[in-house]
Amino acid sequence: MKNVLKVFKYLVVAIICAICLIPFYILLILSLNTPQRIFYQGNMFVPDFYFRNYVDAWNKSHIDIAILNSAVITIVALAIILIFGTMAAYTIARFKYKFNQFVFWLFLSCMMIPGIINTVPLYSLMIKLNAINTLWGMGVVCATIALPSAVFIFTGFIKSLPREIEEAAIIDGCSWFTAFWKITFPLLKPSVAAVIILNGFGIWNNYAQAVFFLQDSKKHNIPQALSVYFQQFAGAHWNLMAATAVIAVIPVIIAFLLFQKSLMRGLTDGALKG
Amino acid sequence: MKRLIAILLSAVLVAGTFTGCSNSASTNSAKTGSAAVPSAAASSTASGEHVNLKLFTGKIETIDLMNEIINDFNASQDKITVEQEYQKDASNIIKIKFASGQVPDIMTTYEQGFADQGKYLDLSDQSAWWDRLSPEMKVNCTDVKSGKQYRICTNMTMAGFFYNKAIFSELGLKTATTWDEFVKNLSAIKEKKPGVTPWFIFGKEAWHLGHLIEFIPHGYIKQQLGSIEAKKAMLANDKAKLNFGAADGAMATFAKNLVDLKNKGLINSDVLTATSDNCVQEFVTGKAAMLSNGMWVLSSLTEADPKIADKIGFAPYPSYMPNSKPVVLSAEDSGYSISATTAHKAEAIEFLNFLFNAKNQKKYSETSKAPSAFKDVQAEWASTNVVSEVNTALKDAVNIGFTNEKPAGFSGDDAGRLVQDLLSGKYTPETFATAYEKAWNDGIK
Amino acid sequence: MIKTKKTGLHTFMAVPAFLLFSLFFIYPLIQGIGMSLTDWDGLSHANFIGLQNFFDFFKDERAVSDIGNTLLFALGSAPLLNIIGLAYALLMNEKFKGKGIARVIIYLPAVISPLIMGYIWYLLLQPGRGFMFHALELVGKSSWLGNWLGDHTAAMIVLVLVNVWQYAGMTMVIYLAGLQSIPEELYESAKIDGASYWSSLRYVTLPMLMPSIRINVVTNIIGSLAVFDIVMALTDGGPGYATETLSIYIMRMCYGSKTGYSTAVALIMFLIILIPVIISMRLTREKE
Repeated sequence: MKNVLKVFKYLVVAIICAICLIPFYILLILSLNTPQRIFYQGNMFVPDFYFRNYVDAWNKSHIDIAILNSAVITIVALAIILIFGTMAAYTIARFKYKFNQFVFWLFLSCMMIPGIINTVPLYSLMIKLNAINTLWGMGVVCATIALPSAVFIFTGFIKSLPREIEEAAIIDGCSWFTAFWKITFPLLKPSVAAVIILNGFGIWNNYAQAVFFLQDSKKHNIPQALSVYFQQFAGAHWNLMAATAVIAVIPVIIAFLLFQKSLMRGLTDGALKG
Repeated sequence: MKRLIAILLSAVLVAGTFTGCSNSASTNSAKTGSAAVPSAAASSTASGEHVNLKLFTGKIETIDLMNEIINDFNASQDKITVEQEYQKDASNIIKIKFASGQVPDIMTTYEQGFADQGKYLDLSDQSAWWDRLSPEMKVNCTDVKSGKQYRICTNMTMAGFFYNKAIFSELGLKTATTWDEFVKNLSAIKEKKPGVTPWFIFGKEAWHLGHLIEFIPHGYIKQQLGSIEAKKAMLANDKAKLNFGAADGAMATFAKNLVDLKNKGLINSDVLTATSDNCVQEFVTGKAAMLSNGMWVLSSLTEADPKIADKIGFAPYPSYMPNSKPVVLSAEDSGYSISATTAHKAEAIEFLNFLFNAKNQKKYSETSKAPSAFKDVQAEWASTNVVSEVNTALKDAVNIGFTNEKPAGFSGDDAGRLVQDLLSGKYTPETFATAYEKAWNDGIK
Repeated sequence: MIKTKKTGLHTFMAVPAFLLFSLFFIYPLIQGIGMSLTDWDGLSHANFIGLQNFFDFFKDERAVSDIGNTLLFALGSAPLLNIIGLAYALLMNEKFKGKGIARVIIYLPAVISPLIMGYIWYLLLQPGRGFMFHALELVGKSSWLGNWLGDHTAAMIVLVLVNVWQYAGMTMVIYLAGLQSIPEELYESAKIDGASYWSSLRYVTLPMLMPSIRINVVTNIIGSLAVFDIVMALTDGGPGYATETLSIYIMRMCYGSKTGYSTAVALIMFLIILIPVIISMRLTREKE
C-alpha cells in the first residue's frame, strides 16, 4: 500500500510539473525557431534548433546591461523590504501601540489601492528628487510598492512565533530590539525566503514602473530590453524576444534553485525546545 | 479601530481635495509660465554652454539607425549632445510626461489634443524643410484649427488591400473598384479555392479594425468633403456633415457590408481570435488571398518568405457608397515635433537639420521600409514590384489620410472594439452606427 | 508575561518603513485622490466637479459590466488559488527526491515576463490554431477547446484557469513557509494519539497554518480583483469589452483623457476590494 501511494505521489508531482513546464517549453521552442519559420506548418512541437537567435538577441537587446540593472535594483529593493519590513512587522506583531495598529491598517489599505493613482504625482516627485534614471530610485519605488504585503506577511509569521522566545532573552538582559535581531529574525527564514521569492521576480520583471523611472537605455531593466522587439503595427519579433527572455531568466532560475534549498530547511528544531 | 480608519480616510480625502486641485493648477501654471522662459534661455545657450537634448521616440523600427545618426551628430560637434529615449508605449508615456511637466525637447508623438494646448513649437517657418517636401505633405502636417504646422514628417506610408497576384491571375480576377465587384472577387475565390480565405481580417487586434473604420467609412467622408473640410468637420463634430448615426449613412452601410461578408463566409471565421502573425503566415503560404494593411507589413511578409515580394499586389479600398470613388491611404509617417517649452530651440533645429539631410534620410527610408517624403531622397524602400503596384494604386484612387482628428477620449482601438462587438453579434449595423456616434460624442470632452 | 518596557528602540521599529512609505506612496496618493474630484484630462486645467465622477461611474453600462466581470473572475480565481496552492504545498512538503526542483518548476510560470507571457499563453490556447488545439487534434478531441473567446462564460473560465496555472506557485510558497514553521513534535504527538493523515491535517496543520491562510486569502482576493496582465494578454478585455476588468478600464480611462475620472474609479475599486478583505481578516482572526 505504501508503495502504491509513493508511485501515485511521484505520478501526481510529475504531471503537475509537466503542466507547469508547458509555457516554458513554448518559450524555448519560440527561441529556437528561425524567424522565417511558418509556425503552423510542419511539426509545431519541434523547433528548428536555430541557436543564432541567442547570438542576435544578445547583441540587439543589450541584455547584459539589463540583467545587471535588474540585479542591482532587485538587491536594493529586497534589502529595504527585508530590513524595514521585518522591523516594522516585529513591533506591530508584538506591541499594541496605537501607532503600530495605524501603520498596519494603513499598509493593508494601500495594498488595495490600484497603483495607477500614484503615477503622475510619483513621477513628479521622483523628478524633484533627481531620482529618475537611477537604479537606487527604481529600487526604492519597487520597495515601497512591495512593503505593505511584506509587512503583512512578516506580521502574520511573527505572530505565530510565541512571545516566550524573546522573553527568554529579555530575562537574560537583552533589549527587545536586540532580541529581534538575535532571536526572531533568524527564525523568520521561511517567510524571508517567501518574501524574497514572491517579490524578487516581480521586481526583476517590473515593467510598469520601469517605463517611467528608467528612461535612459543604459539603465533599462530586463522587460525594457525585451520591448525593443515590438513593432508598431505588427506584433513583435517573437523568436528573438523569446531568446532574450530565456537568457534573462536562466540566472534567476539557477539562483532560485540554490536559494530555496538553503532557506527552506526545517528550522525550529532547537529554538522552541525548553 | 474601524472608526479610526474612517476618520483617517476622510481626512485624507479632504486634504487630498485641496492638494490635488492646487497641484494640477500649479503644474498648469508652471507650464504656461515657463513658455515665457525659453526665448531668454535660448539666447543664453547660444553663448557656448553645452546643451543636452532629449529625443523621445516610440518608433521601434529605426532605433538602431537613430542611435547611429545620433552618435554621428554628437561626434561631429561638441556643443550639443542628443539622448534618445525609446518607449514601446510612447503615446501613453508622453501623456504622463506632459502631465508632470517633464517634456522632451524633440518627440515623435503627436496628438491633436496636445496641439490644441499649445504644447508644440510652431514649425511653419522652417522653409528649408518644407521646400524639400511635397505640398500635400505640408497639408497633411497642418493643424487645421490654427493653420500652422507643429510637426514635420519624414516618410509617407500607404494602406490598402494587399492581394496575392498569383491567385488573382489564376482565377482571371481584376482588382475591384466598387464594393459589388469586390464581393464578386471574394466569392469567386471562395468558390474556386475552398481552402483559401478570401479576405483575412485579424480582428483580435482592435487597432486593425479601427484602421478599417479610418480608411473605409471615414474614407468616404474624407473624399466627399475633401481633406481639409473633413478635418474641420471632425474637429467641430459637425453632425450634419459627419452623420455617423444615420441608418443609411457611411458607418451603417460599412457595418452592413462587413456583416454580409461574414455571413457569406468571405472572411475568416475566426476573425475575432486571429492575430496579425496568423494573417502574415496565411498570406505567404497562399492560404489567404487578401488582407488590409499598411506598408509596415511588408517587412513581416518578406521576413516570413522573401519570395513573396513578387507576388504582392496592392489595390485601393473599393467604393461602397453611391457616387463615390475608391480610396487609398497616403499619409504622413514618422513625424517629429519640438516642444513649445524647450529651452534649446536652435539646437533642436540644428539636430533635425542633420537628421533630415538626404544621406541620412535615404538610410532612414530604407530601414523604415517606407518612402521618403523628401523630394530629393531616392531610396529603395521596397521591391520594384511593390513600388509600382503602390504607385498605380495612388494614381487610381482618391488619396486620404489617417483620422488624426479623432476625439481624445475615443481612440482607434476603442473604435476597433466596437467593430468586435458588431462582429460578435452584439450590434446590428444600425445600432452599431448609433453606438459609434454616441462613443464619438462621449469622447469629446 | 513580562511587562513591556515603556519605550525603547523597539517602539520605533516601524518608523523607517512608515517614513519611506509615506514619502513614496502616501504623499503621491493624496495628490492622486484630489484628482478624483476633478474633470482633469491629463492636459488642460482641472475643474473641481465634486463627486460627479463617482455618479458617472455607476451610470456607465460598460463600467457596471466591468464590475461584474471583475467579481466573477475573483470568485473563481481567489478560492481556486488557495486550494490548489495549499494542495501543492502539502505535496511539496513531503519527503521525496527532486522536491527542490519540483518546487521551482511549479513556480516557473510566474517568472516569465508579462511582455511575452501573453503571446505564449495565446500561442497555447488560441482557438482553432494554438498548441492546445493541435495537441487535442492529434488525439481527436479538438472540440474540447472550442471558441472559448466567443463565449463569455467560457472566456471567464479560461481566464481563471490560466491565472491559477500561472500564479498558484506563489500561494504555494507562502504555505510552504507556513508549513515549515509547524514544529515536528505536534505531528509526532498526534501520531502517537492515533491520528490519521486527514485528521492531523485538520486538527494540527490547518489551525497552525492560520497566519499563512490569512495572508494568502487576503493577497489572492486583492490580486484577483485587481487582475490586469492575464486578461490583457489573453483577451485584451475583448471581444469588445466582454471580458474587460476594472483595472483595464481604469488604465484606458487614465490614458483616454479621463484621468480625473480614472482616479475616482480607482477609489471605487479600493472600496470594492476593502469589503471582502475586511471580512476575511475577521474570519481568520487569531485565537490566542
